[in-house]
Amino acid sequence: MFLGLDVGGTFTDGVVITAGKMVSKVKTPTTHENLLQCILTVVDKVVEEIGSKTFERIALSTTIVTNALIEDNIDQVGLCIMPGPGMNTKEALPVEPYILSGYIDHRGRETAQPRQEEVMAACRHFLACDCDVFAVSGKFAVRNPNHELTVAKWLKQDANPVHTSIGAEVSGSLNFLRRTNSAYYNGAVWRRFNNFASAVEKALTDRGIHGPVYVLKADGGTLPLAIARKYPVEAIFTGPAASVLGIMAMNSTNIPGISLDIGGTTTDIALWQHGAPLFAQQGARVAGYATAVRAFRLKSVGIGGDSFVRLENSEIKVGPMRLGSAMAVGGPKPTVTDAMVVAGLIDFGNRQLAVEAMRQLALAKQSPEEVANLVLDEAVMCICQSITGILTEQAAEPVYRVEDIVHGTGLRVEQIIGVGGAAAGLVPLVAKKMGVTYELPHDGMVANAVGAAAARPTLDITLRADTAEGYYTVAELGIKNRLPSMHFSLHDAYQLAEEHLAQLAKDSGILLGETEMIQSEEFNVIRGFSTVGKIMTCRFQVKPGVLWQSKERL
Amino acid sequence: MMNTQKLGLVFFPAFDWAISPTHPEREERLLYTRDQIVEEGLLDMPSIREYKPKIATYKDIERVHIGIPDIASLITNAHLVSAGGAIAAADAVMNREVKRAFALVRPPGHHAMRVVHGTRGFCTINIEAIMVEYLRKVYGIGKVAIIDTDVHHGDGTQDVFYHDPDTLFVSFHQDGRTLYPGTGFTNEMGSPNALGTTINIPLPPGTTDVGLHEVLDHLILPILADFKPDIIINSAGQDNHYSDPLANMAITAQGYARLADKLKADIAVLEGGYSIENALPYVNVGIILAMAEMDFSKVIEPDIAICPSQSSSVTHYIKKIIEERQHTWAMKEKLRQEAIIKFGEYWQQTRSIYYDDDGINEQQKETVRLCPQCSGYVTIGTEAHGGFGYKTAYIAIIPSKACPTCRSAAYDAVHRAKKQGKYQHYIVQNKYEDRVETL
Repeated sequence: MFLGLDVGGTFTDGVVITAGKMVSKVKTPTTHENLLQCILTVVDKVVEEIGSKTFERIALSTTIVTNALIEDNIDQVGLCIMPGPGMNTKEALPVEPYILSGYIDHRGRETAQPRQEEVMAACRHFLACDCDVFAVSGKFAVRNPNHELTVAKWLKQDANPVHTSIGAEVSGSLNFLRRTNSAYYNGAVWRRFNNFASAVEKALTDRGIHGPVYVLKADGGTLPLAIARKYPVEAIFTGPAASVLGIMAMNSTNIPGISLDIGGTTTDIALWQHGAPLFAQQGARVAGYATAVRAFRLKSVGIGGDSFVRLENSEIKVGPMRLGSAMAVGGPKPTVTDAMVVAGLIDFGNRQLAVEAMRQLALAKQSPEEVANLVLDEAVMCICQSITGILTEQAAEPVYRVEDIVHGTGLRVEQIIGVGGAAAGLVPLVAKKMGVTYELPHDGMVANAVGAAAARPTLDITLRADTAEGYYTVAELGIKNRLPSMHFSLHDAYQLAEEHLAQLAKDSGILLGETEMIQSEEFNVIRGFSTVGKIMTCRFQVKPGVLWQSKERL
Repeated sequence: MMNTQKLGLVFFPAFDWAISPTHPEREERLLYTRDQIVEEGLLDMPSIREYKPKIATYKDIERVHIGIPDIASLITNAHLVSAGGAIAAADAVMNREVKRAFALVRPPGHHAMRVVHGTRGFCTINIEAIMVEYLRKVYGIGKVAIIDTDVHHGDGTQDVFYHDPDTLFVSFHQDGRTLYPGTGFTNEMGSPNALGTTINIPLPPGTTDVGLHEVLDHLILPILADFKPDIIINSAGQDNHYSDPLANMAITAQGYARLADKLKADIAVLEGGYSIENALPYVNVGIILAMAEMDFSKVIEPDIAICPSQSSSVTHYIKKIIEERQHTWAMKEKLRQEAIIKFGEYWQQTRSIYYDDDGINEQQKETVRLCPQCSGYVTIGTEAHGGFGYKTAYIAIIPSKACPTCRSAAYDAVHRAKKQGKYQHYIVQNKYEDRVETL
């Protein structure tokens, strides 16, 4: 039995799935001041319903990290960077960093050494501000981790921090700025997340509930709690990811298109190709700063069932604010849901109150039904505009090969999949406007919790081999090794990457499952008109996705 | 509305295109530059916006070039994309989405001349020239200044605009007596109607940032202020760098960044630069930061210690050339009138042009009518020998602001040549009607 929990902005959902069938479905209001409380309420209800305390897996999608950042309830981090020559990064970072000597160039060569006396001075500086969490990040550390690791070792000797986040371990991709921001936020939320993790583990043990706990990531994968404790920043923005995974579990078509998760206040749009959601080319933004946290390509628009509807200069305006629930269920102001009720799209609450809501918006001689249609037109138009926006952004994404420009990388939308509370009313209208088909999976209301229950564990590593320099690196593992042979081929690189990934999976205690290559590049290195070697980069991951996919409805 | 985005960056490293596997123009050329730009996080900066290149059309290209027998058979998709990259940069600036733009694209273009038989100096079509004609056609731009900062003389760009008084072409480069393509001497100043709007500044090997900025401060910037162009284009070659394997100059990333900062080009287009590991990553980051109006003071090559300093003889030579060029610029109206009187109705030159990449020898006879009403129609007789055997063509070019006399005289000339039948192809590049005609 797989237990999936999603702590949302309004509700916390829990589902239990066994042999591809949903056997329990629980909903409770989210208790923002104490997330543990709503989680345990759901767990207790689920246990009561199914009469078992043992799970194959308990997977959690929470707002703990997001909340820590929103509430600014984060730790001070002693951020030490080795930027070397290049852009002045000072303005681009969330806090004032301590700048250290030491530089690795683009080929991974050490061109300036870090200095221990500087690290000691950094420790004195940060200890004076009571920092006990540190982050270290160096430019091109993904090409050679030695400097970051040396500085981390010196920091440990001098300051003995409770935690040190290391840039190249947090992300193996190029982008010093993003890795630095990721490492900083990883350190900043480390304590809050770890306290939460300990509380969850203790509460489950106290109740006699058994099962390994996993945490959902923004890229839709899950991590065992022990690993997530080291990389808490990955657990940000998991809500939309959970819902995307849920859609994946509930839908088995390969039709290219989009999904719409239409909730109370927002609609989350995701893009789908070959039966899988598309990833954003760049990492997510955290508190306005670009990070290396991998996430799905998503766009949120402020239209949902509870979106506030009003007249502005005799024109209907919808959202993005929410002033409460629909008037049909006793809310204060007209909403999109009231319009859906009046238009006969859904049966919800008191129809008379919804009609009253539309009357409030009616101009002379307009019937409530006419007003409702205007409201829905406006809501659908806003959603369609955002869909066009995300498709345009996707098509404008730069590519670096002639082949890719000439043949294009755009997405053709053929189908919309709708989930979330307000999907049933709005998705058919959006689909009609776009001239495409749509699907509304049966349990779309709890897609997020289903996603958490079904998400596969994931890991990824980047292997870069430089046969001219004679070594390879795996940044995420802090590895820089001599190459086994001068005649190392791209095929050998793939094999080596797979081996490291398998080892990492084993060490992390997760099942390897299906792996895939997500990036591969090979260049001949020519010096003086002859080939002196090759530079190869490949990135492999344990394929994200769902543990099972329904042939029929869950 | 104010642009918060200062720089549009069209980055296109063409990772799947090479002239040949070990050629300097190969897949690897911008690999380390890509690594540096991405690693710095430049593409995430709010003042920089990345653009995808467009795909240039044959029509865009034929506003500049006459391909023998046609342009399509001489180029690859990579050329359409690199010219399209320059066009995307131009659009971003002209639509005011960004303040200025940098097309960091390959393959390069500044050695490609108007008539194209093949590839020379790694260039087949002239991407700046194509962009300039696009700017004129689509946005009605008039006066254009092109500042070519590649170490090699921009002989292709010079050729395209040699008779055009509305295009100021300034090239500084390592002296042609010591480097490919062996041209770009001070006496190449434009044909009589456009005399003075081609300015060559050959610099001695060993010129450093000091010499370069002397030239910039005392010659190029004052000339630009005087010419008052509607738009400034920088042919941003990066092979003046001290580590470049194909040349002998001593410019640093700081030198290039300060140049970009002072020049304030509306659009920069990458040209050469073949120190792919030790120069390009730093020079490009420097140029990008300067154009985006960001702090570039920390962009310093790790091996800066090996950069030589400038000898006093070089300093002295540069001072002299600045004085000479200043004088010529001041005298250009007088020189122009003297030349027109001297040559009468037609100005003529005969040249041989070598296509080093394809082993083609071309003989060209070019005639310009020194028209008092317009810049004058041009005729070119060309004969080329190469691996393909033998190709010839007789071409007339009608400028976009041609007077009626020049317009009909150009056709008459081609018809006359065709009657004599000495050439294989007879072509009119009619810029007045924006088309190319084969007669």
